[in-house]
Amino acid sequence: MSKFFHNPKAQYILRKLGWVPVFAFFVDHVYSVASVNGRSMQPTFNPDSNKLRHDIVLLNRWAIAWRKYEIGDVVTLWSPFDPDLLITKRIIALEGDTVITLPPYPDKLVNVPKGYCWVEGDENFHSKDSNSFGPVPLGLINAKVTHIIWPLSRFGKVPIITRPGRVFYGVSNFSVVGNIV
Amino acid sequence: MGPSMLPTFNEIGDVVAQEHISPRLGLLEIGDVVVCVSPTTPGRSVCKRILGMPGDYICVDPTERNRRYLTVPRGHVWLQGDNMSNSTDSRSYGPVPYALIRGRVFAKLWPELRWIKNGMAPISEPK
Repeated sequence: MSKFFHNPKAQYILRKLGWVPVFAFFVDHVYSVASVNGRSMQPTFNPDSNKLRHDIVLLNRWAIAWRKYEIGDVVTLWSPFDPDLLITKRIIALEGDTVITLPPYPDKLVNVPKGYCWVEGDENFHSKDSNSFGPVPLGLINAKVTHIIWPLSRFGKVPIITRPGRVFYGVSNFSVVGNIV
Repeated sequence: MGPSMLPTFNEIGDVVAQEHISPRLGLLEIGDVVVCVSPTTPGRSVCKRILGMPGDYICVDPTERNRRYLTVPRGHVWLQGDNMSNSTDSRSYGPVPYALIRGRVFAKLWPELRWIKNGMAPISEPK
């Protein structure tokens, strides 16, 4: 056995293998890449509906570990209805805000409770988002989508889009909202 | 940990062992003790017992005057603490998404060493 460890080739391999846990930690907790399918985030991701072409994006997990997400960020989160499905949506409102919802949702206005957020796809018609499943717990958010890597023609930062016309920021009182509407 | 699991775990100072495999594989059952990210405070974990799986029809709070019943939606579980009189659980924040579950508690290490078993026993109907 000691002969094996003194072999320079074995030492070289062992030294390289030492980087595997470092790499695993980096992918799990710092940055990783993923491909986006589906059209719920058009036109930000997959602008042409060709199902053979997927955008590849960079996921920032470090920011989520420190809970640095803001309204307008694109995030990946575990679907509340399917624990194995990772979905990509945009944060529209955080806790304490009031959102004007879109059709599938039963109520016209919804107050986002503490610890929850309201997520929507950029393409409302093809997106299954908070308008169908309601506010989602922030703990489901898995990573922040910061950059588009592929295709190279659209390489760059993911734009931050807010919906100021549909959200009353910091208003959690329905009667106040009712007067505005 | 807090008072919510009181007969099973003490208020503070208990050490438990959890495994992450059965939540990933979907092997959780009613009665399992799980550690889950709190839906109301994303930085905190809570320890509760699963009392309802997707599709189960449950009573939200039997002590209420007007009992409310609901069906646990797809991909969610119903969690409650063992100390029902002092526990913030699904009765206040509703069904919890399955993806928030981090692990299943299978053993208590401190102050005494013992397995945490699934506490649900089938009730046989009296004949």
